[in-house]
Amino acid sequence: MTTQSKSLTREEADAFGRELDALRQEVIADLGKRDLEHIRQIIRTANRSEAAGRLLLHFGFGPLSFVLGTSALGLSKILENMEIGHNIMHGQYDWTRDPALDSLRYDWDNVCTGDDWRHSHNYEHHTFTNILGKDRDIGYGFLRVAPEQPWRPVHLTQPVVAALLALFFQWGVGAHDLRVDELFAGKQTPAELAKRARPFATKAAWQLFKDYAFFPALALINAPRVALGNLLANGTRNLWTYAVIFCGHFPEGVRVYTEDETADESRGQWYVRQLNGSANIEGSRWLHVLTGHLSHQIEHHMFPDLPAARYPEMAPRVREICARYGQGYNTGSFARQLSSVIGRIARLSLPGPKKTAKATRVVPEEAATPLTYRAAA
Amino acid sequence: MISIQETGTGWRSAGSVVARRLLLDRQAEFWMGELDPVRSRAEIRARVVAVVEETEDTKTFVLRPNAAWQGHRAGQYSSVEVEVDGVRVRRCYSISSPPGEALVSITVKRVPGGRVSTWLHKHTRSGDILRLGTAAGDFVLPAATPTKLLLLSGGSGITPVMSMLRDLAARDAIHDVVFVHHARSRANVIFGEELSELAARHAGLRLVLCLDDEPSAPRGFEEARFANLVPDFAKRSTFLCGPGPFMDRAERLWENVGASALLERESFAPTTAPARMVSSVEGVRVRLARSDRAVAAKGQGTLLEQLERAGERPAHGCRIGICHSCKCRKQTGTVQNVVTGEVSSEPDQEIQLCISVPRSDLELDL
Ligand SMILES: Cc1cc2nc3c(=O)[nH]c(=O)nc-3n(C[C@H](O)[C@H](O)[C@H](O)COP(=O)(O)OP(=O)(O)OC[C@H]3O[C@@H](n4cnc5c(N)ncnc54)[C@H](O)[C@@H]3O)c2cc1C
Ligand code: FES
Repeated sequence: MTTQSKSLTREEADAFGRELDALRQEVIADLGKRDLEHIRQIIRTANRSEAAGRLLLHFGFGPLSFVLGTSALGLSKILENMEIGHNIMHGQYDWTRDPALDSLRYDWDNVCTGDDWRHSHNYEHHTFTNILGKDRDIGYGFLRVAPEQPWRPVHLTQPVVAALLALFFQWGVGAHDLRVDELFAGKQTPAELAKRARPFATKAAWQLFKDYAFFPALALINAPRVALGNLLANGTRNLWTYAVIFCGHFPEGVRVYTEDETADESRGQWYVRQLNGSANIEGSRWLHVLTGHLSHQIEHHMFPDLPAARYPEMAPRVREICARYGQGYNTGSFARQLSSVIGRIARLSLPGPKKTAKATRVVPEEAATPLTYRAAA
Repeated sequence: MISIQETGTGWRSAGSVVARRLLLDRQAEFWMGELDPVRSRAEIRARVVAVVEETEDTKTFVLRPNAAWQGHRAGQYSSVEVEVDGVRVRRCYSISSPPGEALVSITVKRVPGGRVSTWLHKHTRSGDILRLGTAAGDFVLPAATPTKLLLLSGGSGITPVMSMLRDLAARDAIHDVVFVHHARSRANVIFGEELSELAARHAGLRLVLCLDDEPSAPRGFEEARFANLVPDFAKRSTFLCGPGPFMDRAERLWENVGASALLERESFAPTTAPARMVSSVEGVRVRLARSDRAVAAKGQGTLLEQLERAGERPAHGCRIGICHSCKCRKQTGTVQNVVTGEVSSEPDQEIQLCISVPRSDLELDL
């Protein structure tokens, strides 16, 4: 369901924001044992699944144990990257003061370093969400996912490039904060890039060693089988996270903003932008867990540091608030959102269309809010 | 500063680096905990093996710590961490058992409305796991036991001096010890029975109980009665622990007779009481512990803005409280979260600089 969002004045946006802040407060006040038990249970499931997967791959013979082992390993990697790693690194469990759930200490099973991720994702993407020129997640600098992005001939290849990115998604994510494009634009020297790339290169080397040397070596005669299983498990995780993230950001109806529009944005207007820059996926409880609750991308973008497992119960309230303020709430089945994304990537590989009418205009006015968001941080 | 000690000092060894790089350390910790929740390489954990009701509002928790526990000296305390509604909270408790034993006891008085003491009383059972910090504090018996000792306590303040008395008894070193304890009534004397037994067994121990409910007895510590009971108090090595007003009065007496040098004291004063809250940020002093610098707040603004204005460059990202990059440990002092209005006054809490304003002088781990 997508409806056009009505444009809100600054006062209206701030009232909208206050309602969302109140909802946020309500959930914070209710955080407790249940949330801690949820994440510990998911950690337990992921670890058991990994152990089962590795045992089947290392000691099993034949195709059945290979398929089961690879699936179990893939499942554990998906859980660890999405519901566990992504969410812990957002600070969703910092309130528990459990060092194992500490956002700044956690590092995930992915070639992207925790520090690079915290910078490019938690800070840049979640602060400057969908602002052209500031949010480097809009098409990651090489895909054209919004008509507002100028067309270049290289975009003709983007259906293929997008498919390749899906297969190697963790490498795309890992290299994202290196800003390789700035090298070509002359904004970064090769020496700077090399320095910036060092932590990534180190982590990637260890990850490759772990998946394709250490664990296979442990399996002795089963080494090729283990290496292949790890490759497929990583690949499955790549495809899945790619699909979830693209469905959350690039279906039809999601809009981008210009820097001018957001230069003097208030906290309420920040909320409006988060809403209009995200899309949800509908599904069962397990779909939500497997996406790390990024199926509730809208709620995630409004409340990135609240435990994600709370999003499903917050969603009806968010939707109701959005409806009252005339704001569209972009949600649909996985198949619908995915086909919408694929269609959009294909269409935008060609020039045009003429920039569509803006779904929302956030009109900056002179009105100080208690917490003024400063884009020029 | 009290902290749950990271016991993995061997992390620097090559094997540990490899384990961490391969994310195996996290898994090892997980599986260790699955097999036996008291085992850990990162934390001192202890299993509660017994809970003893001492008085109507006091319980002793007998603990069996894991191998990371390095023992204590009589009189020392440990920080004890529990998960209260999913949040880890820590308080200090003196160890009431003598050193050198496999089991370690803490004795906790329930403070009405108190977060941790109430939780321990209501929810902690045999078999539960608590996290401890390494034993700390210099309220300890000197290596050479003083010939004349006075152990002076009130209420739950008996815990560290009880550890000392038990230690002396175990070493058969009770030569000339006066043990003066203050309580509301006989039923409120923590370790009452054991004290009587020890006094009966050791000729060198004189036990004096000052009870508020005795006919025409003064309440709490009273100089005249005390001097009457222990005339040579000023010549004794004294260990004092009890409620704040009790200790203040006793200390004044020692000062007046010029015997303060012989007086050692331990205060249980709650560290959670909000320091006097200031309404204006102006002039608040922020000490940066790691860089050993101090900054005075000027005008309004969050801690992040204040620090930047003073030329500091703390790590940060979004500046609106969502990315957690500006997280830092507040060691002491009170801050208020400008988004939620929540006040944080406990020591050693993580705060977000970009949405916190100082409400008292502060010490930050920066
Ligand atoms: C070195 C040291 C050793 C200690 N040893 C012991 C011990 O052996 N046994 C023991 O029972 N406690 C001991 N304490 C006190 C203990 O650490 C806690 O302060 C106490 O249990 C209350 O914690 P709480 O979380 O229940 O209360 P909080 O939630 O922290 O406080 C609730 C309310 O009670 C008040 N309050 C807190 N503590 C006290 C207190 N001690 N007296 C009066 N009012 C208080 C607070 O100001 C607050 O208003 C020790 C403290 C220190 C610093
Ligand atoms: S700077 Fe992002 S939370 Fe403070």
